[in-house]
Amino acid sequence: MAGKAAPTPTTYSPSPTTQKTKPSFFKNHDADWVRPDGRGFHQCRPAFFRTGAVNAAAGSAYAEFGNTKVIVSVFGPRESKKAMMYSDIGRLNCNVSYATFATPVRGQGSDDEDFSSMLHKALEGAIILETFPKTTVDVFALVLESGGSDLPVVISCASVALADAGIMMYDLVASVSVSCLAKNLVIDPMLEEESYQDGSLMLTCMPSKYEVTQLTITGEWSAAKINEGMQLCLDACSKLANIMRSCLKEAASGSEE
Amino acid sequence: MVGLSLGERQFIQGGIAQDLRSDGRKRLTYRPIGVETGVIPQASGSARVRMGATEVIASVKAELGRPSTLHPDKGKVAIYVDCSPTAEPMFEGRGGEELSTELSVALQRCLLGGKSGGGAAIDLSSLVVVEGKICWDLYIDGLVVSSDGNLLDALGAAIKAALSNTGIPRANVASSVLGDEQPEVDISDEEFLQFDTSSIPVIVTLTKVGKHYIVDATAEEESQMSSAVSISVNRQGHICGLTKRGGTGLDPSIILDMISVAKHVSEQLINKLDSEIAAAEADEEES
Repeated sequence: MAGKAAPTPTTYSPSPTTQKTKPSFFKNHDADWVRPDGRGFHQCRPAFFRTGAVNAAAGSAYAEFGNTKVIVSVFGPRESKKAMMYSDIGRLNCNVSYATFATPVRGQGSDDEDFSSMLHKALEGAIILETFPKTTVDVFALVLESGGSDLPVVISCASVALADAGIMMYDLVASVSVSCLAKNLVIDPMLEEESYQDGSLMLTCMPSKYEVTQLTITGEWSAAKINEGMQLCLDACSKLANIMRSCLKEAASGSEE
Repeated sequence: MVGLSLGERQFIQGGIAQDLRSDGRKRLTYRPIGVETGVIPQASGSARVRMGATEVIASVKAELGRPSTLHPDKGKVAIYVDCSPTAEPMFEGRGGEELSTELSVALQRCLLGGKSGGGAAIDLSSLVVVEGKICWDLYIDGLVVSSDGNLLDALGAAIKAALSNTGIPRANVASSVLGDEQPEVDISDEEFLQFDTSSIPVIVTLTKVGKHYIVDATAEEESQMSSAVSISVNRQGHICGLTKRGGTGLDPSIILDMISVAKHVSEQLINKLDSEIAAAEADEEES
């Protein structure tokens, strides 16, 4: 036994070189840091959309960005509640909730109420509310797995679901966020990256109309950096919108056959 | 909501287009700001800010608590805003709740910085008493007493004033503590620590009416807005948070232009606010 003692032991023993260290990328060595999933700083996760996830809804969509998985269903336009006052434009009602198993710690989703109002604000500028007076459109989003950038995914998915439901819109709404880690801007952050971020910028826009419907910034930013972050997001949004559009086209051509 | 006739609406919009608003201000002029500090004796710090007919109160309470396991070297800050129905009937029930959360979230975004604590206006590590065991929890509460537009800017100013008015009692920790035991803390009644409020940003809301944007909109002007962008800027001219309100979309270049305008306006606002706060504190000491 003792004679077998080789310089490299065959059994697993943690050594400083092979040990999995918690990434210390956020501090000083920003130049040679690799993202947890090996993406480039300005590279988004592969996006996947599929319409018609829920049969009972007027329109629905499922989206998957890496580990982030959300499902959005749209109901209506249907009669507004009796208590609501008369309105000559339609109402939009949004609700975002987290599945209890969506987060690493059970039942610890982000502030739902906050997300709901953010979703509302992101979408209302794109929907032609005049086309359904006196009625309400309900948008319900459920985050099945939270893997970072949840809100942008929910917003993009909701606009696909709205299109699937045949709600009139000026343009599709695409949303992307960037995180600021030390000096780097990383696009489409994952959950781990989000928990270490020094700041974040989320931009929601209508790419064909080239209009920003929602923009939020947290953390300390210089004007130049905001400009850079916005450009990154705008580029990514227009690419994302192409994916969303092709998904809708596919669904439409599939149903004709 | 404010019900306006067609004529009134055109008057407001036309005035803004000609850089002369209904109350005689220019597009980028604030209403006179009144600051009063130490208005709530029960709180660690408080302030009342008036901008025209808008009136808000902010109070800061410090309580001892346990730091979260994720950030053992940091204290906690919570910001809540309450819109009382006494200010306006529409604040009753759901309407008020929605506005309250919107304002709270916007303030949290502007003051608390990123998740790592970077860029935060309040230095959270200064709130720790014993690392991993005891820290100060700051509860910042805003109350809207009277509402005539531009609530977010007023609340931001009130919180800045309240924090500069805040004294946190010096906590003396009993030195002999073993292992996981919770150390005993003796809170001094006489010695207070002041906050460094120089890095706390001000919030500038630019409301877009027609083609132009204005600062410090009244409720009537707000009812005519197409969209509004709230930008918080600190003394260094860095942006600490940004939120957009209102439905219609904006061209990206307009947003960038708004940011540079906000930076310019914020310089004057910070100086004005600082002198108001200093005057208010001097008043309080005299009385």
